[in-house]
Amino acid sequence: MKHSTPDSAATAMSDAPLLSVEGLSVAYRTQRGWLHALDDIALTIGRGQVLGLVGESGSGKSTVVLALLGLLGDTARVSAQRLRFDGNDLLSQAASLRGRRIGTVFQDPSAALNPALSIGLQVAEPMLVHRRLPRADAFARATSLLAELGIPRAAQVMHAYPHQLSGGMKQRVVIATALAAEPDLLLLDEPTTALDVTIEAQILDLLEDLRVRRGIAMLLVSHNLGLVERICDKLVVLYAGRTVETGPTADVLAKPQHPYTRGLLAALPRPDRPHPGRLLPIDGNLPDMTVTDPGCNFRARCSFAIDACATPQALLQVGDDRTVRCHRAGLVATTPMPQPTVGHERQSPSGSPLATAEGLARIFRIGGGLSRLFGSVSRDVVAVDHVSLAIRPGEVLGLVGESGSGKTTLGRLLLRLIHADDGRLTFDGTEIPNAPKLTFRRRAQIVFQNPDTSLNPRQTVETILRRPLRRFGLARGAAVTDEVDRLLELVRLPRDYRARYPHQLSGGEKQRVGIARALASRPDFLVCDEAVSALDVSVQAAILNLLADLRDQLGVAYLFISHDIGVVAHIADRIAVMYRGRIVEEGLVAEVLKPPYHPYTEALLSAVPIPSAHAERRVRLAGDPGAEVSAAGCCFAARCPRKLGPVCDTDTPPRRQATDTHHFTCHIALAELAAAKAVL
Amino acid sequence: MTGYIVRRLLAVVGTIWAMSLLIFAIVHILPGNVAYTILGEYATPGAVAALEAKLGLNDPLWLQYWRWLTAMLHGDLGQSLVMDRPAAPLILEALGRSAILAAISFVLVTTMGIAFGIRAATHQGTLSDRTLTLVQFLFIAVPDFFWAILAILLFASWLHLLPATGYTPLAEAGFLGWLSHLILPVGVLAMGLIAHVSRLTRSSMLETLNSRYILAARAKGLPERLVLRRHALPNALLPTITILAIDVGILIGGVVVVETVFAYPGLGRMLVFAIEHHDLPLLQAGMMVVTTIYALANLAADVCYAALNPRIRFSHAAA
Amino acid sequence: MTFLAGTNRPRTLVLGGGITVAIAALAILGPALTPYNPTAFAVRLRLSPPSLVHWFGTDEFGRDVLSRVIAGAHYSLAMGLGAMLISLLLGVPLGLVAAFHRGVVEEAIMRSVDLLISIPPILLGLLILAVTPPTLWKTIVAVGLVYIPIMTRLTRSVALGLLQEDFVQAAHARGEGAISILAREILPNAWPPIIVECGLRVTFAILLGSSLSFLGLGPQPPSSEWGLMIAESRQFIDQAPWIGLAPGLCLCALLISVNLFGEGLREALDPRLSGHGDV
Repeated sequence: MKHSTPDSAATAMSDAPLLSVEGLSVAYRTQRGWLHALDDIALTIGRGQVLGLVGESGSGKSTVVLALLGLLGDTARVSAQRLRFDGNDLLSQAASLRGRRIGTVFQDPSAALNPALSIGLQVAEPMLVHRRLPRADAFARATSLLAELGIPRAAQVMHAYPHQLSGGMKQRVVIATALAAEPDLLLLDEPTTALDVTIEAQILDLLEDLRVRRGIAMLLVSHNLGLVERICDKLVVLYAGRTVETGPTADVLAKPQHPYTRGLLAALPRPDRPHPGRLLPIDGNLPDMTVTDPGCNFRARCSFAIDACATPQALLQVGDDRTVRCHRAGLVATTPMPQPTVGHERQSPSGSPLATAEGLARIFRIGGGLSRLFGSVSRDVVAVDHVSLAIRPGEVLGLVGESGSGKTTLGRLLLRLIHADDGRLTFDGTEIPNAPKLTFRRRAQIVFQNPDTSLNPRQTVETILRRPLRRFGLARGAAVTDEVDRLLELVRLPRDYRARYPHQLSGGEKQRVGIARALASRPDFLVCDEAVSALDVSVQAAILNLLADLRDQLGVAYLFISHDIGVVAHIADRIAVMYRGRIVEEGLVAEVLKPPYHPYTEALLSAVPIPSAHAERRVRLAGDPGAEVSAAGCCFAARCPRKLGPVCDTDTPPRRQATDTHHFTCHIALAELAAAKAVL
Repeated sequence: MTGYIVRRLLAVVGTIWAMSLLIFAIVHILPGNVAYTILGEYATPGAVAALEAKLGLNDPLWLQYWRWLTAMLHGDLGQSLVMDRPAAPLILEALGRSAILAAISFVLVTTMGIAFGIRAATHQGTLSDRTLTLVQFLFIAVPDFFWAILAILLFASWLHLLPATGYTPLAEAGFLGWLSHLILPVGVLAMGLIAHVSRLTRSSMLETLNSRYILAARAKGLPERLVLRRHALPNALLPTITILAIDVGILIGGVVVVETVFAYPGLGRMLVFAIEHHDLPLLQAGMMVVTTIYALANLAADVCYAALNPRIRFSHAAA
Repeated sequence: MTFLAGTNRPRTLVLGGGITVAIAALAILGPALTPYNPTAFAVRLRLSPPSLVHWFGTDEFGRDVLSRVIAGAHYSLAMGLGAMLISLLLGVPLGLVAAFHRGVVEEAIMRSVDLLISIPPILLGLLILAVTPPTLWKTIVAVGLVYIPIMTRLTRSVALGLLQEDFVQAAHARGEGAISILAREILPNAWPPIIVECGLRVTFAILLGSSLSFLGLGPQPPSSEWGLMIAESRQFIDQAPWIGLAPGLCLCALLISVNLFGEGLREALDPRLSGHGDV
């Protein structure tokens, strides 16, 4: 099976691509036989070019990186028709090229740096080993490299250890180690996935800058279409180990020709298009990759599929520089992108609030206990700093913030799952004490982030769903069985799933069971704590649709906590923006997404990578949210690009009321902020 | 780092004090009249009363404890009842002999245990790895007193290569004679622990080799020996230090057993002697000495751990 | 178990379990199986080597070694199981209490546990057994006490980990009480590591118990506890090595099979070891 070769081998040497891969296949040995992680992958990267490799979990995108490096280990079987890097065969010579001419940046910088070695040694090491520089020279160069990558006080950081640096700084260090030997190609495996969105924006700027100034070629592996679009010239879309579509990034994203690429785009919630009605998820699950399927492996989930899709398909050239693996590509290209069905225009619920928080506060003490006797320091961290907010019946309040902002703690405080140190909580007119009655528990429930830990692995779906019914005395005898059926139906799961254990469910299905469990007691209020964050885009869309339907159907109010402003903008009526324990801005979705903004909201919005949305003005934040914050002034003062001066550090900012429903806390005058340009 | 060591030192002092309470309590509060325990079941009431007066057993317990504790702080470990001599010099002499056994064994355990463990981890699945695992399994599953019997049978009874039991001072017997009495006890003591340390070093090394930063180090194109030595070893050895600290405790227990089998006149045999002859003051003193040594060994392990672990060495944030 | 790599998982379990059960049957049926009275002297037959009449030979009093070994089997099993049960029944509740009551109660429990761990195991056993005349049950209690701290620490760390899990948070959100959370959410997930630890504890309790007996702090003569038999055999090691070899080899067989059984349990219950071929 010989498939397309975008670049012919006959081209002159100077035009020869830096990296060219053809027919790359990788299989892992498992207990169930060979698992075909990659099947006939082709890609090329020219000098100075940036190629994006996109796919959801299970697509095999990380396997591509390891295969290029020759680091797949003994359990993998690798074969390729062509695996060439600048005239060298990577299959046999990867060991002498990696680190020297191919630099690599892995996903989680906390895991990728060695905790026992100093930053300086880790950055200088490739120079010592590959370029055989004297130690002093290598360390001097490493210091200037760190400074070049935007690390303040680089000389000091050289002597530090990884645990002393923030996540964003660590990723800069990892990039520095990858660049240390001055490679021609940089492999970036989800380089920003573990980072907050404002830090992600800093790293992306850094990568763009590297590309312009150093002309370095990159392979960017990511699940995030918006991110890939920002810096990649060309795109390769992977599905279940196969290349389904390639081409220039803007072209592919504007006119996708493979149903899977189309599906990914349609499933993506976007902050620049809030309230599009329903998202379009991709139904079904990844195919079993231990079974070799000669036909299209997406056909089971594809709305364009016909019988012919069961026959093998080659990656075909379609127009300039584009390839697609689909019999139906012609039809897909000419069918207009599905427009989201806009349901009834949602009216933001009015009326008296269901849940009201007044000055809720929670302080965590770090260190303490008996160890205090022996002189270890304990310090207090204000996780939630006297927050007030109100949620009406049937309303969705989105709570946005980066890690450490206190959004999860606030959610638990509203459910009285953790003890509040100060403040009042009122629910449906009654004040709720720190140890609430069972009626409150029945009416206020929670959906968690991680579907793998939110279900007891030793209970069946039925046991999980029966318990709240019993606990709150909602059903007895045969009625319990009916009620379990109703719940499964509510979350669109087949009835026979009742006998299954969590490990027999996919991530999306587990999340549905988690939602059904929360709904079992027929609550009025649900805290959704990053409820879709752990899911792939295609599954996330289905869960978001389900949550929106349940809100409309059952009239449940949500506190929808998320770090992803696109998701929140999609489902929420109002948005509250949280930073370092305080709510800095709150308003209707449309109000929060356009000026006047709180400077933090402005930066947050402009940091979000969105496909095909070109912001004219980008606001970048220095530092990271972990920085020290002064108790007296504005919590955002240390990073604020619009900081006025000392007043921001010393005085509590006033509350600015933009409209009846929209307010924020900032020293800057309302008129001045209203004049800011929209960033979306 | 200094603050950390000071805190650990305070904790060790606290532990030793609590141990003194515990040891005193067990000896004096457990059922059984101490004087009867010492004199035997058929003692006359008169003899019992006389002994109780001599030992101060009629005083309130706290007073007895206070007397014992303050005497210990002044270096007076009490009086051996059976030998009717001060306990301190007896213990010191025995301790010296035990220390030779323990020190040689510990050095062997540390060096060979770590070396074998790393070799097994880096040559995973090979014949030598499997043989090593099998040998380790045997050494862990067979009690050391039985190994001792087997060793005596093989090397003393059948091969007549080494003396079965006893001890001769270096000055009397010369180096070889002195050494010949050490080989079997040290071998028995060290074998099981070498197996233990190498098994756990192997698994911590394997875990380290599976970590992301080792993948990153390989992606940097470093030669494999550098990956192992510089990147894997410092991290893999951290758990081994904790294991070594635990093994000091097992080693002390092993010394008791091995000294008994080989009739080696060390502290362990003295403790068993004290129990057999109901010499409670000697027993208390010996126990205190041993637990103090163990606590100090744990302190040393903590300090090593901190020195190798930058997360403790530099617990503040930079930049 | 790496040296058994390639074999099926149940094999260690079955092999170890089989031999253990066989030895246990021997111990229970012991009195009915012994060919001779294990304590009957036969001075004319003293120190006779293994033969068809006396498979394992006779000892210094002419007692049949095979009969004594069979009669002594129950001691090791009782020490292993008894001490394990003591550490299980006391250590697990203490660990759960420490995990559920953070603060003063937890500090008190964990500091006491630290203290018990700061005495080397054999010495703690020696100390407990030193003052009163030794018997089987005292040895069992002493060994059990030595292992309580390990059980407590394990249970606490497992329970603390589970208490952080979202499904326990979901139970809190239903307002479930501590007993319900313990019974429904914690224990069903906590028992696999505890069971695995129990297997290990049986092995170590047999080792420690027989070592204490060897030092004279277990069952007393004329009983035929294996450690004691080995201790007594030392005098005759040159003339009649079989007196010590027979109980020693049986002890090894028991330890190896219990250990194998424990390894099998670990492999069967530890999800991390059931190789998933994740990409």
